[in-house]
Amino acid sequence: MADAPAFESPVVRSYPASRAGDLTLSDESAVTKWLVRAGAEGPTADLLDARFGTSRLTPGDALVLGSRPGEWIVVGAASEVAAAVAGLDRLEEQEFCSALDWTHGRAMFRVTGASAPRMLEKVCGIDWSDHMTPDGAVVSAPVALVTCDIARNDRDRVRSYLIFCDRSFGQYLFGALIDAGNEFGLSVAAASAS
Amino acid sequence: MTMSRQGVQPTEVIDRAAKLRFRWNGKRFSGFEGDTIASALAASGEQIFSRSMKYHRPRGILTADYWDPNLMVQVGDDPNVRAGHRLLESGMDVRSQNAWPSLNRDIKAVNGLLGRFLTAGFYYKTFMRPQWLWPTYERVLATFAPGGKIDLDTPHAYHDKRYTHPDVVVAGAGPAGIEAALAASSAGASVMLVSHEHSVGGHLRYSSAAADQAALAELRTALDASDVEVLTDSTVTGRYEDNWLGIVQRNHPVAVERLIKARAKTLVAAPGLIERPYVFEGNDRPGVITSGAARRLVNLWGVKPGERAVVFSANAEGDAAVADLERVGTEIAAVIDGRTGGSISSTRGSSRAVDAVVADGASIGADLLVVAAGWTAPTSLLNMAGDRPVYDPAAARFFPSDPPSNVLATGGLAGDADLDGLRQHGAATGRLAASRAAAVRHRLQARTARALPVDGDEPAWAPDERAPLGRDPHPELYRADTHGMVDMSEDISSKDLVAAAHEGYDSVELAKRYTTATMGPSQGKLETVNTVAAIAEARGETISEVGTTVWRPPYAPVTLGALAGRMFEPVRVSSIHPWHEANNVSVIQAGQWLRPDHYGDPAAEVRNVRRNVGLIDVTPLGKLDLRGPDVPKLLSLLYVNKWMKLGVGRVRYGMMCAEDGVVLDDGVTGRLGEDHYMMSTTSSGAGGVWEWVENWLQTERPDWQVHVTPVTTAYASINVAGPKSRELMSRVCAGVDLDAEAFPYMTVRQATVAGVAGCFMWRIGFTGELSFELHAPAGHGLRVWEALMDSGSDLGVAPFGLEAQRIMRLEKGHFIVGQDTDGLTLGPSTGTGSLIKLDKDDFAGKPELAWAADRSLPLVVAIQPDDPDVVPEEAAQIVRGDTNEILGRITSSRYSPTLNRSICLGQVEPDLAAGGTKVTVLLESGERIGATVIDHHAHFDPAGERLRG
Repeated sequence: MADAPAFESPVVRSYPASRAGDLTLSDESAVTKWLVRAGAEGPTADLLDARFGTSRLTPGDALVLGSRPGEWIVVGAASEVAAAVAGLDRLEEQEFCSALDWTHGRAMFRVTGASAPRMLEKVCGIDWSDHMTPDGAVVSAPVALVTCDIARNDRDRVRSYLIFCDRSFGQYLFGALIDAGNEFGLSVAAASAS
Repeated sequence: MTMSRQGVQPTEVIDRAAKLRFRWNGKRFSGFEGDTIASALAASGEQIFSRSMKYHRPRGILTADYWDPNLMVQVGDDPNVRAGHRLLESGMDVRSQNAWPSLNRDIKAVNGLLGRFLTAGFYYKTFMRPQWLWPTYERVLATFAPGGKIDLDTPHAYHDKRYTHPDVVVAGAGPAGIEAALAASSAGASVMLVSHEHSVGGHLRYSSAAADQAALAELRTALDASDVEVLTDSTVTGRYEDNWLGIVQRNHPVAVERLIKARAKTLVAAPGLIERPYVFEGNDRPGVITSGAARRLVNLWGVKPGERAVVFSANAEGDAAVADLERVGTEIAAVIDGRTGGSISSTRGSSRAVDAVVADGASIGADLLVVAAGWTAPTSLLNMAGDRPVYDPAAARFFPSDPPSNVLATGGLAGDADLDGLRQHGAATGRLAASRAAAVRHRLQARTARALPVDGDEPAWAPDERAPLGRDPHPELYRADTHGMVDMSEDISSKDLVAAAHEGYDSVELAKRYTTATMGPSQGKLETVNTVAAIAEARGETISEVGTTVWRPPYAPVTLGALAGRMFEPVRVSSIHPWHEANNVSVIQAGQWLRPDHYGDPAAEVRNVRRNVGLIDVTPLGKLDLRGPDVPKLLSLLYVNKWMKLGVGRVRYGMMCAEDGVVLDDGVTGRLGEDHYMMSTTSSGAGGVWEWVENWLQTERPDWQVHVTPVTTAYASINVAGPKSRELMSRVCAGVDLDAEAFPYMTVRQATVAGVAGCFMWRIGFTGELSFELHAPAGHGLRVWEALMDSGSDLGVAPFGLEAQRIMRLEKGHFIVGQDTDGLTLGPSTGTGSLIKLDKDDFAGKPELAWAADRSLPLVVAIQPDDPDVVPEEAAQIVRGDTNEILGRITSSRYSPTLNRSICLGQVEPDLAAGGTKVTVLLESGERIGATVIDHHAHFDPAGERLRG
């Protein structure tokens, strides 16, 4: 069996690599993403343990986002995501739940840097202050007019946000984020392990 | 009036080492960095800056700031620039507006001689009859339109937008505003301080008093050390519900303008006071300026406003202007004290003389008349918050009455005090604002799922325990014993207002609209109170009795660019789009999607599909992943046909109708597994159908176990069509038997394609050819497409676009929802009435469809023009013979490269729907052509033999 084919990112244009500021934008679209649906309260919610509007890191480093009541996005390395949702099969007898691989359907970008909130203020109407959107917060909102899920996921105590959108908008949104970040010296970084 | 640059002033804001050269009406001038356009011109001795709107009277500096109505100029291709505010830049090309052939000799000044005929309402009265001449009037009057010139080829500048949620926004950066910002910040609030001017400090900036300058330095130092976000050259343009504020930030380093949408928890209004002009004959003559203008010219830019001045002073500002003028060597010919009954009646003189005529008729020779007649309280933000300020005749200005508790006023807007008193009031206001903001923040956090949790109850709403500011007495000085200009932007005099009142327009709101007073670029900041005073005088009432107009947003004029902000125009592309772009695609925008329309020759693309095999990227086709045991019930509810027995691996076509029986969407749904289905929708209907499905599930059938997930772009969708499509697919597919019997028409299979697992494909065909609609995980879509192209080169594989697909579907007679149907097309009208199963349990639209089943409805039919070379326009009407009686319309039409003739679909009255019926089509040109309804929707392969292949 040949190796699995390489993932093709929705971002196909190249951008200048380095700028002066502390702000970075990376395309993390290849990261495995699963969507889980079940009751807002129940065994699935207990298993995933991320209430609506919040997120948590599993022991295996998968990130579980409570994206809507009764809906979770699980993000991380494929094996870790699989581990995070592994118990769902056992819950099907207790409640109706479903899980599907959303990796190909959603683009995912990471914006990191102290000025990330100021950059996001240019494209999104959410209050990014620490008290309203603390580390771990999850919110759905239009970013540059594209509906997105956004999770604050700080890195080494530096502000960092994961932005998810429909894959077809990926190229457009990536460009819009670069445009918004220009005044902060945004640079495009290589994808991290997220 | 002879203005000139003087020696260095301790308070000046210009950098005399940085000389800037610019042009004014084509001539070379220079100024310094820190100059405004107006101050640089004034320092060079310029006296006339513009011509008035209607009478083309020469106009000079009046207030020397943002609000100056006489300083509108054109800078390059930027019209209506405020020369009293815009900072000078090197190389600026500044031109006067509204004057021809030149500013000093304006031929339209003849209008001044006709002034008695050009009173308020002149246009309404003169040009309303005869009505048919109005277009001509309009063209002629347009040539008299004031203002600058717009160049439609001007490149779009970068306008920006920002959303922010500060605890406290302070509008106005005078001493009280700064203190409010500092105090709020010290109390832990996030604070945004907005200064209309280029630097903070308010009136302290142009005060020569040492104490004022010391205070200013202290405030600026404190501000620099604070966390307050300071926006200069910015204006809070509007206050809306729940303290939603519009703020325009001008001259941002990366944007011409930035519109900030701020949701403030509390708003502090500290705009200060605006000096209002005095109304008397000749008050708009160049050389008549406000005391504030005199002080700004002297102290900010080192400009001596005149050689010999008369000062009419009714307050301390006027007195201070006297001192400032004397310091730079202006001879003070006289000081007329308005507090003791002194007044100015008129001005005389010509060119550079502004002789003041006082009440007793005596004339005092001068070239400068400085007027300090009182203040307008710019209560706009309070008005916008619902407050109705009240007039105090003893102080001769308006004061806040009862603004909402999350809007606080301070500074001159709230009252009078010495500098310390104003600062203390500002600080107390800031503390109160921060306290109330904290309560709002607590409430927001408690209500927001993602926010940091809060402990305890919401803090109590802090009572307003600020010591109120006093009110300094001021004489009510609005108009002298002569008439003069009230609104210099609009050329409206007090006489016009009195006349309007006598004509019956005696309500201030009516008079405003009738005369246009206060509706110019100054937005009433200089004119409103004088307008009210003139009407009050005409009515014999007090200002309180007349009341004011309601100040609405914007506080200051806003450019359309600022309002538009950044132009976000999201577009969607498939994962195969890079290939299209590299292969001469002609793109069409369909909704937000950029789609391949064709690759050069749509007809050739059609022929290739009919003969060989073609690929089309149909990724935008809506796809909904449906999971759960109740999916069949959901499908039965949404579609008009039956779904309870669809087997695994089967695909079925379905039509959805809305509750009124009108066709909503159509598509196929396949059963991928026991409780797993995939629904396809039209491309344009993808979003709407998802909402429709969720609406039914969430509001009507919340008990059903169904999860719906839009996966439209999770898959790259490729239609492989043509007689050689099976051969091509066999070269790239693994794990599936493609034989016609093993994989027949209207079935679905899952497979590995080009090494990509997780693909599924169904045997359907919009083109009427043998085809496989392949759906591959989007992250591998390009790989699959390229594999198909590479593998089929010997089969003649080629891409085809939407146009070829449209032709082929029309050849096959497949209707498109929204094109061949409209907002009134009931299900049976599509000609697929047999699909509608009224014996089902309830489904969306059933009652209306049951009603429709017994009715004669228009029908979708296939039509062929008698002349095969004529292609009727889509939407061409089908009429009865030579009459204009409409019997239907052409909904789709193309020239068929397969049949070598024109073909159509159309909607016709039921009695015309039978095959062989002759109809008349009225073309856009007016020509009528004959056409024939054919037996089937399909012009090509009606038996579907190719499709089932």
